[in-house]
Amino acid sequence: MLMITKTDFARILDHCLAGYPHEACGLLGGRDGKVAKVYPMKNARPGPTTYEMDPEEQFRVMKDIREEGLAMVGMFHSHPGGHAYPSSVDVEKAYWPGTRLPNYPSAVYVIVSLLDRANPVARGYLIEEGKVSEIPLTVTERQDSHISMH
Amino acid sequence: MGVKVRIPTPLQKLTNGKAEVECSARNITELVDALEKDYPGIKERLSEGGKVRRFINIYVNDEDIRFVNKEETVLKDGDNISIVPAIAGGC
Repeated sequence: MLMITKTDFARILDHCLAGYPHEACGLLGGRDGKVAKVYPMKNARPGPTTYEMDPEEQFRVMKDIREEGLAMVGMFHSHPGGHAYPSSVDVEKAYWPGTRLPNYPSAVYVIVSLLDRANPVARGYLIEEGKVSEIPLTVTERQDSHISMH
Repeated sequence: MGVKVRIPTPLQKLTNGKAEVECSARNITELVDALEKDYPGIKERLSEGGKVRRFINIYVNDEDIRFVNKEETVLKDGDNISIVPAIAGGC
């Protein structure tokens, strides 16, 4: 399970909607399965079906996450015209090139579908060992309480 | 004294679980060769035909080598090298 506050969840959705019709992306810092900080980021290869984090921004954010004493608990990106499920490209890019070794083991890939922009759908997945497994996202009122499941 | 290299999780099997290793090299090409000597198999993971693989980003201190001098980027004692897989995808 990945827990995220309502405010942080809204930040993810806002960033994805702002990036429409292109894919949008970002990183999630946190600990113990809880998101503590959302980093909306630039899509360095903007397109309706592609994203790539800007390498310098990615490095800077990952450093910030470490310096905050957090871990990278996940990353998010939008599918402006697709479902909230990892595409074959998402899966391929989750592994070290030419291997089945996950680049970021235990990080949750959050995918936001904007098929219905009035009602975005977000789901979380682990992509490792050749498998895609859904991880429930739990949106909480505050860091210590939860109100709904997605 | 040499440079410190932060090893990403998927390559730590090759470095016997070490997240950081030290080695001596004057540039990135030498660094990849030096790592290969200590941790066989790592060169093929990092490069292809002498070039760093696409979707692998290497930083010397805080600088992306692509914006310095790529594989010829000069290293000096005490530098911190980070190897970071890109995050990308698309539907």
